[in-house]
Amino acid sequence: MTTEIITSIAKFIAEKILKLPSKVISPDEALISSGLIDSFSLMDLALFIEDTFGVRIEDTELNAETFDTLNQLAALIASRK
Amino acid sequence: MALENILILAAASLLWATTFRNHGRTWFMLIASVVVIFWLQPAVPIRGADFFTPLATLVLVVLTWFITADDATRKQRKNIIILLVIASVVLFLNLTRFLPADFQLLTPSRPPQLTTTLIIFLVTGLTLLVLSRLTRFSASFLTVSLLLTIGLFLLIKIPTLSLWLSSFLRTLSGQSLTNVSINDFRWLGFSYVAFRLIHTIRDKQSGRFPSVDVVEFITYVIFFPAFTAGPIDRLERFIKDLRAPFAGLNLENFYSAGQRLLLGLFKKFVIADALALIALNDSNATQVTSTFWMWVIVYAYAFQIYFDFSGYTDVALGIAQLLGIKLPENFASPYLKPNLTQFWNNWHMTLTQWFRAYFFNPITRWLRSWEKPMSIPMMILLTQVATMLLIGFWHGVTWNFTLWGLWHGLGLFIHNRWNDATKAKAAAWATTPAKQAALNISGILLTFHFVAIGWIFFALSSPVTSWQVILKLFRAH
Repeated sequence: MTTEIITSIAKFIAEKILKLPSKVISPDEALISSGLIDSFSLMDLALFIEDTFGVRIEDTELNAETFDTLNQLAALIASRK
Repeated sequence: MALENILILAAASLLWATTFRNHGRTWFMLIASVVVIFWLQPAVPIRGADFFTPLATLVLVVLTWFITADDATRKQRKNIIILLVIASVVLFLNLTRFLPADFQLLTPSRPPQLTTTLIIFLVTGLTLLVLSRLTRFSASFLTVSLLLTIGLFLLIKIPTLSLWLSSFLRTLSGQSLTNVSINDFRWLGFSYVAFRLIHTIRDKQSGRFPSVDVVEFITYVIFFPAFTAGPIDRLERFIKDLRAPFAGLNLENFYSAGQRLLLGLFKKFVIADALALIALNDSNATQVTSTFWMWVIVYAYAFQIYFDFSGYTDVALGIAQLLGIKLPENFASPYLKPNLTQFWNNWHMTLTQWFRAYFFNPITRWLRSWEKPMSIPMMILLTQVATMLLIGFWHGVTWNFTLWGLWHGLGLFIHNRWNDATKAKAAAWATTPAKQAALNISGILLTFHFVAIGWIFFALSSPVTSWQVILKLFRAH
C-alpha cells in the first residue's frame, strides 16, 4: 500500500513537477527543505493527492515540518485514508 | 531590545530555570511577558499612550482567546483568577506612578492616572460578561475579530491613517495638534502579535484550533523573547513545549542556550552595530559619489540587516531555550542560497511560512479550482507578486516597501520561469562536480546581488533616492 503511494507520487513529481521523467526520487530524499519542490508546485502536489487518494492536505500543512520526504508523505496519507 | 534588557531577561530566565524549575514556569513566563510588553514599549509624546498601547495588546489578546476558545475551556472558573492576576500586574505597574521618578523603571514614562485603566478593565470585563451570556457563539465573531485585527494593523502601517490616529489621540488627551507626526504613536510588537492572532483566528475558522487555556494563549502571543522581533511560532507547536514536563536546566541545554545567546549578542551588538556605521541610509545615499563606495555601503547594509535580525533571533531562541521552549528557526544561511526561491525559504522563514499558509496557498488553491483556470505563468506571476507586495506592506505601506515587494515578486516569477525553461539543460550540462559547483556559486552570487539591490528600496525612504543609488552602482549617473 505505502509502496504504491510512494511510486505514484514519485512518478507525479518527476514527470509533472520537475519535468525530468527519468529522475529517481528516493523515499528519504528531502523534497521541500532542499528546494526540490517550490511552493507553487507544492499546491499541485496537494491537489494531485486529493484527486488520487481522496486525502486533503491543508494549506497550513504544506511545509517541511508536516512532511519532507516521500516516506513521511505516504505515512500522512495512509493515516488519513 | 537594548543590551541591558536582554541581559536582565536572560538572567531572570536563568535564575527561574535553575531555582524553581517546573514550579510555576508558565506563570513566570506569563507575568514576565506582561511586564515586559510595558517595559520595552518606547516612550511616545502622546500622554499615556505608551501605557495604554501595551494594555490594548493585552485586551485584544484576551478577547481573541475568549472567542476562539471552546465552550468547556471558556467556562472554567480558573480563567477569572488568571484574568484578575493579570489585571493586578497591570494595576501594580500603573501604581508605580506614585513612586519617585527614579523608581518608575518598568514603564517608559510616568504611568497615567488610574481612572482610565480602571475604565478599560470595566469595559473589558463587561464585554467578556456579555459574550459569555450568549448561548451560541456565532462564526461572525471570528470574522469581526479578524477584520478588527487587520484594521488595527492598517491603522498603524498606513502613514496617512497613522497621522490621523495621532491627531485623534492628541485631541483625546487634550494635547496641541501643532507638532503632530506619524512618529507620535508606536505600538511595539504589534506586527508580530497581529500575525499570531490572525493565525489562531483562521485556524479556528477551519476547525483546527487546539484547546488552550487563557494562560497558554496569552503566553504564546506575547512570549517575551519573541515579542519584539519574532519568530512567529505556531500555537500548537508552542503549547507542546509549554505542556511538556520541564526538569529544569541541565548542563547540556545551558551550554547550547548560552552559546546561542552569546552568538546572537555578538552578531547584533558587535557585527551589525559596527556595520551600521557605514551601511546605506537616507543621508549617506546622497553623499557618496563613487561607484566603489556605493557598493561598499550597499553590501554593508545587506550584512547589517542580516546580522541584526538573525542576531535578535538567536537571542530569542537562546532565552526561550533557558526556559525549555524551542522556538522555530528564522534564518538558515539565506545569503548562501543559489536562487531567490531558496533565499525566501531561508530568510525570515516563520514569516514566509505564515504568508504561504494563510495567503499564498489559499489563493493558489482558489485559482486552481476555477473552471477555466488562467495560464500557469499568469497564475504564478499573480500569486508571487501579490504575496511579496503584502510582505512589503507588512513592513509599512509606503512607496519604497511597495517597490521592494514588487522587486522580489517579479524576481521570484522570473526565477520560476527561467528554472522551468533551463532545468533540463542545466542538469544535462552540470555532469561533473566542478560544473555543478560553478553553477551553484554563480547562482549564489547572482541571488545575493539581486537581494542586495532590493535592500536599497528597503533601507531608503524615497523612490527617487533609491533610483539614484542604483544608477550610481552601475555608473550610469
